[in-house]
Amino acid sequence: MDMDDTSEQQQVAFAMHTFERIHHTEFQRRFLSQNTRHDGRAFSQFRATHVTKGTVSTAQGSSTVRIGNTTVVCGIKAEVSEPDVKTPNEGYLVTNVELSPMCSARFRPGAPSDEAQVASEHIHRLFGKAVDLATLCIESGQAVWSLSADIVCLKYDGNILDTAILALVAALEDLRLPEAQLDSATGVVSADRTIARQLTLRKRLFPATFALVDTYLVADADDAEEQLATTSVLVVLDDSGRLANIWKRGACPVSNETIHQCIESAVERAETISKTL
Amino acid sequence: MPRPDRRENDQIRALHSILGLLNRVDGSAQFSAGSTSVYCGVYGPVDVKVYDEKLDRAVIEVKFRPAAGVSGTKDRWVESAVRGTFEREILAQMHPRTLIQINIQAREDDGSADAAAINATTMALVDAGVPLRDMVAAASCAVLADGAAVVDPTLEEAAAAQSVHTFAFAGSDIGRAGSGGASGSTSPVYVDSRGDFSVADYDRCYDLCLRSAQRVLAFMRTAIEGKIAKESQISVV
Repeated sequence: MDMDDTSEQQQVAFAMHTFERIHHTEFQRRFLSQNTRHDGRAFSQFRATHVTKGTVSTAQGSSTVRIGNTTVVCGIKAEVSEPDVKTPNEGYLVTNVELSPMCSARFRPGAPSDEAQVASEHIHRLFGKAVDLATLCIESGQAVWSLSADIVCLKYDGNILDTAILALVAALEDLRLPEAQLDSATGVVSADRTIARQLTLRKRLFPATFALVDTYLVADADDAEEQLATTSVLVVLDDSGRLANIWKRGACPVSNETIHQCIESAVERAETISKTL
Repeated sequence: MPRPDRRENDQIRALHSILGLLNRVDGSAQFSAGSTSVYCGVYGPVDVKVYDEKLDRAVIEVKFRPAAGVSGTKDRWVESAVRGTFEREILAQMHPRTLIQINIQAREDDGSADAAAINATTMALVDAGVPLRDMVAAASCAVLADGAAVVDPTLEEAAAAQSVHTFAFAGSDIGRAGSGGASGSTSPVYVDSRGDFSVADYDRCYDLCLRSAQRVLAFMRTAIEGKIAKESQISVV
């Protein structure tokens, strides 16, 4: 066998998915350099977003949000607890993002990963001002509602932050709290389930995440694109069109013009999702 | 409205730093802005766990400890911010299959602690002799309820503020922007703006933080030059 001869002349042909597997980076770049993406979207296009409220009947408020193939379920459980001494009139909102091995092979079982903890913390900081914690007060200094929002990812295909933020907004809007009263003689809180009180949000939040893959700015990166992206910009707007958060993280510096470009795209995105939410 | 500590709106607190104050680490620094103070110790390049090892570059690990109480998700958030900021600035390719460990210990948090953590890390990395592409300088700014933008807010100011903004810039970028602080040509390495703000507020804070970062960078340069000058003098004698 003449090995040298064949190796020089042989044209290597792959099936597309073989190329994707063995040259993941090159595969994505081929698309980006042609001004498109591997799933056919334009750079500024977000994936189809579906929001369903009230999907978990055992929770006081719940929602399921899908952005493309990323699916997240959020359930809010309300429990009565004692307020903090420093803030006797305020309830609690505890957020927890769960990225288990069930949603992607990237995550390992056990203690929450750094990524999940950072997402939980970021969402907690964001919603600290969106929810009026004083409306969760049952009896000042005695009893308040503690809302624990569990955001569980079922299918992970990138852009977990957008999905989780939308899910929490939808679940908070779905939340119905029973009318609760503290019996001062016995110290027991009794709840009347026939009266359901809705929680009014100070502002609805509309997130939009952009990722920088090489030099291309793409909206709503999926898992395959996120693997290549070194940098992401999250822009969160509220329903009055004001900004609630700009969070640029990752290795590559992003010019101020690019950030303004992200804000403009986020405004458009907010208009679209405000209709579906 | 005057600020509680009688500073001008665009005036940062007095900066103070000590380089190489810890003798068991490869490089260390204390960075203080007013009463906000942060220690940073850097080990590197050192052995890495086989599981984490990367064949073409060093692994960068950041640990943040709060001044009081147990470490929680808040600290993981700061760690991820610092790691992201330095991932590109540390020339990790020069030390493949090793670990660069950055340990940050908050000493006192009186506002703008994220920025102080980034600044302390820059100084500790320089002190450790870890190859860097650039120095990083961070600054923060708050928009108060009356619409005034104040730089380097204290904890009290930040708590009452409408929005709080933290930016980090690479040294060469700050130099290019010049003293005027032309925001168009610069590219921040890290941005965290939160609260309730408009694009105009964001732009205003961007310019203010860029100018503050210039001052912080100049301070860091002087401090490092001072230490090197002192060291070289001793070696001559």
